[in-house]
Amino acid sequence: MSIATAKKPRWSPRRRRQAVIGAAYIAPSFILMAIFNVIPIFLSIYFSFTKYNMASPPVWIGLENYAKLFNNRVLTESLSNTVRYVLITVPVQTVLSLLIAAFIAEHLKNRYGSLMRSVIFIPVIVSLIASATVWNIMYQPKGGLINQFLNALGFDSVNFLGKKASALPSVAVVAIWKNTGYYMVIYYAGVMNVPSDVREAAIVDGATAIQRFWYITLPILKPITYMIVTLGIIGSFQVFDLVYKMTGGGPGRSTYTVAYVIYTFAFQDKNYGYASAVAICLLIVILFIHLIQTLFFKEKDA
Amino acid sequence: MKKRISPLVVTGVVLVTLFAVLCLLPLIYMVAVSFTDSETLYIRFKDLRPSLYNYWYAIVKRDFGTALKNSVITVVGSCLLVDIASAMAAYGFEKKPVPGKEALFQGYLATMMIPGQVILIPMFVMFNRAGLTNTYAALILPMVGAFGIFLMRQFMVAVPNELLEAAEIDGCGEMRRFITIVLPLVQPALITLTIFTFNAAWNNFLWPLIINTRSEMRVLPVTMSTLASNSTTNYGMVMAGATLTFLFPFILYIFLQKQFVEGIALGGVKG
Repeated sequence: MSIATAKKPRWSPRRRRQAVIGAAYIAPSFILMAIFNVIPIFLSIYFSFTKYNMASPPVWIGLENYAKLFNNRVLTESLSNTVRYVLITVPVQTVLSLLIAAFIAEHLKNRYGSLMRSVIFIPVIVSLIASATVWNIMYQPKGGLINQFLNALGFDSVNFLGKKASALPSVAVVAIWKNTGYYMVIYYAGVMNVPSDVREAAIVDGATAIQRFWYITLPILKPITYMIVTLGIIGSFQVFDLVYKMTGGGPGRSTYTVAYVIYTFAFQDKNYGYASAVAICLLIVILFIHLIQTLFFKEKDA
Repeated sequence: MKKRISPLVVTGVVLVTLFAVLCLLPLIYMVAVSFTDSETLYIRFKDLRPSLYNYWYAIVKRDFGTALKNSVITVVGSCLLVDIASAMAAYGFEKKPVPGKEALFQGYLATMMIPGQVILIPMFVMFNRAGLTNTYAALILPMVGAFGIFLMRQFMVAVPNELLEAAEIDGCGEMRRFITIVLPLVQPALITLTIFTFNAAWNNFLWPLIINTRSEMRVLPVTMSTLASNSTTNYGMVMAGATLTFLFPFILYIFLQKQFVEGIALGGVKG
């Protein structure tokens, strides 16, 4: 496509007309994305250097917001909570989705397997707020489904969301419940792309199912795994809805996350400048994760 | 190929089945509680009430009707806008000799890396300044994104240039070519994109929470979140609300499962 166009030396009137028509087709999306995606980033960068509460115009204060980031206890705690949350959700959902996808692709390529895939995907379409609401009720210390179950087995009730130690992992469980089906679908598509002659050759060579998984499926799925881990880290790093609905950041500040902190700084404290500085740091972290993934990809492809 | 069923496979089938049951369990619980006497959490059969009382209460008495209407309007508007704008852009990018288009397309893709929280505050300020808070426009206009355009372009490649040229020679105008030839050919992609936009708009929470604060402009997830905290003991009604929120995407999923899954696989393998 680009070769053919590059060889044309001059712009004929027809081509010029086509270019104008093409630009007209691109224009609506361009305008919308410029206003709602691009301009806000620059505004965000600008706000991060100001003191701003929306009541009066932004006041330029240079790097003061950024200087105040590093000794803010709320922020450091929320960062460590977020990292802990990522470290729980990402490994579990990645391994689960990989194992389920690989197993179904290998041993359940029938209607039962496709039923299992359909069912495991269902939590993906539940809104986060509805999920949080349902799980909140399931986690209830008095009469919630999980504690009814524990009581029936003879254990005492656990206040899952009310204890500092268990609140964050309990939120993570909901994320894992919701995300596994999504990544399973991506993995499954990847497994199905494994050339069948490679697998058949391995079977002929007498490789066991576990050997085939370890030495054939897993290496072939490596690029997809990088992608899924990256998507998972980025998604978990921005967790908001679940925390907002399930714990409101508590108990104490034990489930404050970066996204939740941005929300409270901005929309509860009306400290838009400072919240923007946190948001810009989040952006830098996310871009850094993307960069690492791209570098890994390049290295492995070469 | 016939093979002996090994214990490993049996264990695997049991574990996969168990996980599938765990995936469904919260949703079964949700529906079950929505049919119980409101103030109870211990589901006993005598509490099960096969009536729609909780649903009636949530919709009529507790603003779920309004939220449902707002969500439907937002979703329909978003799907139309995203489908049209994305199909047009993809066509322009793929089929027209626009100078600098590849650089611009890369720029579009780059916006996919921006986390929502980064643009939240400026968006809030902009919409406040423009007096567009508590409007449907506030919920619909920001839905257009690079993902839809990327998805459409993948399919636009397959539209044969010869067909478009032949139609042009036959005197078929630019607009007519786009509407009668291009759009029908990319219909599967439009369906996939509609599903994605539907889910994104239907489940959107943070942005509607901050931008549409008046109760008559709230969408389902926002109403859901305020309801559940205002009446923490009325579990039956809260679960009825959650079931309602879940029902529409679920119906869509049942009918368009293939497109759901293909769309994710396609969007996911983009890298």
